[in-house]
Amino acid sequence: MSVPAPHELIRFAKERYHAFTEIAETFVDAEFHFSAKDNLCANGFQARAGSAILEGYVPPFDATPVHRLKTAGGQLVGKTTMDEFGFGTFCVNSAHGIPLNPFDIQRSCGGSSGGAGAAACLIPGHIALGVSTGGSISGPVSFCGVVGLSPTYGRVSRYGLIDYGNSLDKVGLLSRSATLVREHFQTIAGPDPKDPTSCAQPQLPTKGRMPDSLAVPKEALANLDPAVSKGFQEAVGRIQEMGVKVEEISMPSLRYAMPAYYILATSEASTNLARYCGMRFGRREEELNQHFNDFFSGVRSQSFGDEAKRRILLGTFCRMVGFRSRYYLKSLAVRQMLIEEYRKVFEDHQMVLTPTMPFLPPRFEDIRKMTPLEIYGADFLTIPPNLTGMPHVSLPCAYQQGLPVGMQLVSDHWREMDLLEMSSEWEGHFPYRFPEVGP
Amino acid sequence: MKIGLEMHFQLPTRSKLFCSCPTSAADPNHNICPVCLGYPGSRPSLNRKALEVGLSIARFLDCRIEERVWFSRKTYFYPDLAKNFQITQYESPLGTDGHFDLNGRRIGIWRVHLEEDPGRIKRVGRSGEEVSFVDYNRSGIPLVEIVTAPDMQSPAEARAFIDQLIIELRSLCDLDAQDEQKVRVDANISVGEERVEIKNVQGLRNVERALKFEAARQTKLLAAGKKVILETRRYDEERKVTTSAREKETEEDYGYIGEPDLGEFHIGQMAEELDLKETPLVRARRLMADHGINEVTAKQLVLTSSSLADMFELLCRSVSSEKAVTWTMGPISSNWSALQDHHELWSEVVAAVKADSDGEITDNEAKRRILSLAGVKQETAEAGDADLDHMISDFIDAHPEVLANYRKNVKAANTVIGHVMKESRGRYSSKDVVEEVRKELEKRV
Ligand SMILES: [Zn+2]
Repeated sequence: MSVPAPHELIRFAKERYHAFTEIAETFVDAEFHFSAKDNLCANGFQARAGSAILEGYVPPFDATPVHRLKTAGGQLVGKTTMDEFGFGTFCVNSAHGIPLNPFDIQRSCGGSSGGAGAAACLIPGHIALGVSTGGSISGPVSFCGVVGLSPTYGRVSRYGLIDYGNSLDKVGLLSRSATLVREHFQTIAGPDPKDPTSCAQPQLPTKGRMPDSLAVPKEALANLDPAVSKGFQEAVGRIQEMGVKVEEISMPSLRYAMPAYYILATSEASTNLARYCGMRFGRREEELNQHFNDFFSGVRSQSFGDEAKRRILLGTFCRMVGFRSRYYLKSLAVRQMLIEEYRKVFEDHQMVLTPTMPFLPPRFEDIRKMTPLEIYGADFLTIPPNLTGMPHVSLPCAYQQGLPVGMQLVSDHWREMDLLEMSSEWEGHFPYRFPEVGP
Repeated sequence: MKIGLEMHFQLPTRSKLFCSCPTSAADPNHNICPVCLGYPGSRPSLNRKALEVGLSIARFLDCRIEERVWFSRKTYFYPDLAKNFQITQYESPLGTDGHFDLNGRRIGIWRVHLEEDPGRIKRVGRSGEEVSFVDYNRSGIPLVEIVTAPDMQSPAEARAFIDQLIIELRSLCDLDAQDEQKVRVDANISVGEERVEIKNVQGLRNVERALKFEAARQTKLLAAGKKVILETRRYDEERKVTTSAREKETEEDYGYIGEPDLGEFHIGQMAEELDLKETPLVRARRLMADHGINEVTAKQLVLTSSSLADMFELLCRSVSSEKAVTWTMGPISSNWSALQDHHELWSEVVAAVKADSDGEITDNEAKRRILSLAGVKQETAEAGDADLDHMISDFIDAHPEVLANYRKNVKAANTVIGHVMKESRGRYSSKDVVEEVRKELEKRV
């Protein structure tokens, strides 16, 4: 098989795998090609965040990470498919197609940055900007067998990101190799006055340090698919062979992370999504000659998908009188408690190691049978570092039934370079496999 | 009767609260950007100047100021609200538990906080065919909200409170001069047990009218043995009545959450380091205490111009406060426009008053000196101009017919007066000119 030109692969990734919602009309001879998840604004592309309500919204500005990659000589070649506003674990909640897993097109790419995962897997040398709120980078990274970094909250500017949960959202990177991720991470990281929450960060070190001890919380090993368990145990063996200690510990607060996360994320999301009312931008098909309440209710009923509606209802409920202190305020306390629990672990270990997803990439037919609660449960390993704003990487760690298994490494705030150091080292001990597909 | 007020003032900043759009007037939808339009992907960043002004107001009102503050989202759907939530402060205002002394009575201040203004809706067209336009120029304009305890006892007192507060804030932070008309107020009023809230009344006069109407309405209801219902009412400016708004939203219904994009602000040090200007009424109280002068005089001094009060204080160092009052409110005040910007003359003014006070010169001589100081300044400012006497005699010399006419009719003096007034471009008071011209003509007749 001859090596296809990059633009052929990009078109192929869009048409055959639905990895992209939109691609550039022409491809220039740039330093590198990159893509942006469709919730990142970029001049000249629609930014629809997987939602029909944003049909036709072409933002008049570039998101800071997009701008920085362009400045570094990259060409933005397309916007990648995602769950509507990031609401999903399997990338099946999109108004713009469902991306197919390059390892098996019957299976999910994971979500919500599913298109980014597929693009990173399908196109060698490609760097994909993804966004994680509760695991939206790690999930697709694990299912698509690639490398992904979700940085510390506040490390990469969120200017130009269409919000899901502002106190949780992080812009990160997906690619076939940790080297590429490291290179471009250094480009997109750093303070940006347009996002005040990015301005409190310490400087990014030029080099990371290898950990000497990893902690595996035993709570993370319950309820795993046997294939994932097996793959993960193999990986632990390899890590020990590398001379890194791996020790089982306990993190009892992990189980509170999921409810706290869904309360905070949906509370914030329900206010973020309030602006979509058929005025000022996006879709507007409703008759204007009616009461405002009827007008915006009509627009929202028609254009939001079920999962978006579910999360708006959930979030609005949690913010309401009588429930606010029971749910919203308590969740803020849980987040603090979990940060302290991680810190305690980091006194003796540099990173926390777990599998990324509890099962192999599921078939679409099986996803249809899952209840919303079962789907939310799939994120139980990726949510804790997201809730605490801690950086984490997901790396391929085994192959089971021809499908990739991912492992997740979490470090203390601002230590992304250590994670990438470990990732590069791991690549030297465990060769990654990519499916042979092509136009 | 108990009245409590919630007042909104626009802060005097050049740019909006969370973006760099100007706050100046413009054609509809010209001062807008992705941030104040709530475009997806845009993000607020706080205008430090607004925070600073807000904090100085909180400190001026003697509020308790916490070390850290944050903002909140108040969510409700309305076409003029760009994000369908307003960024405001809920659990974490800039200041709490302050007070303002109103004519000797202490009015409690519950809280002071910052928030963004929504846009404005304009309805155009005939009834039944109305079209609504939204102008987002005001979207994101910084406001400070000041909430009082229900400590005012009459509509007049409520008006006086706002009036005096505006005087103070204007001097403290260059509040817009138009704020008497522009101030937006929500007022709580209860004559008996139950209170009524009157929402969104604009302008000082309307606040008093709305409260008066509502006080009368409640009094009448109670006198007739009826009950006042706890409700929100609106003031109809044209009919000058309040009407029930028939809505029952409470603060909790807005589903407040923290604004995650702005984070926390550590304001303790900033608040401490602020250099607060001494405001007019605070100064008046200090002048009364320091110099034993009465309230009317003290207020007159500080409200005429702060520099006149400076002059007064300067005089008090050399002469008794009675003398200082007499001279400041008399000849000094009437010539103040000529003296106030010439600080180099102030000590001479003081010397004249002191000489008079010490009995070295007469009142008239002291007065003459002050007047001449005011005049001297003009001469130096426009060097080369002849003084008044010269101008008059030169003109009469050059126009002998004037003297001839004057002999027949004294009204001929008007020719000279008119000429001098024109030449001197109003440098001399008409009274002085008339006097001097008469004197010169009489001398020659
Ligand atoms: Zn703006």
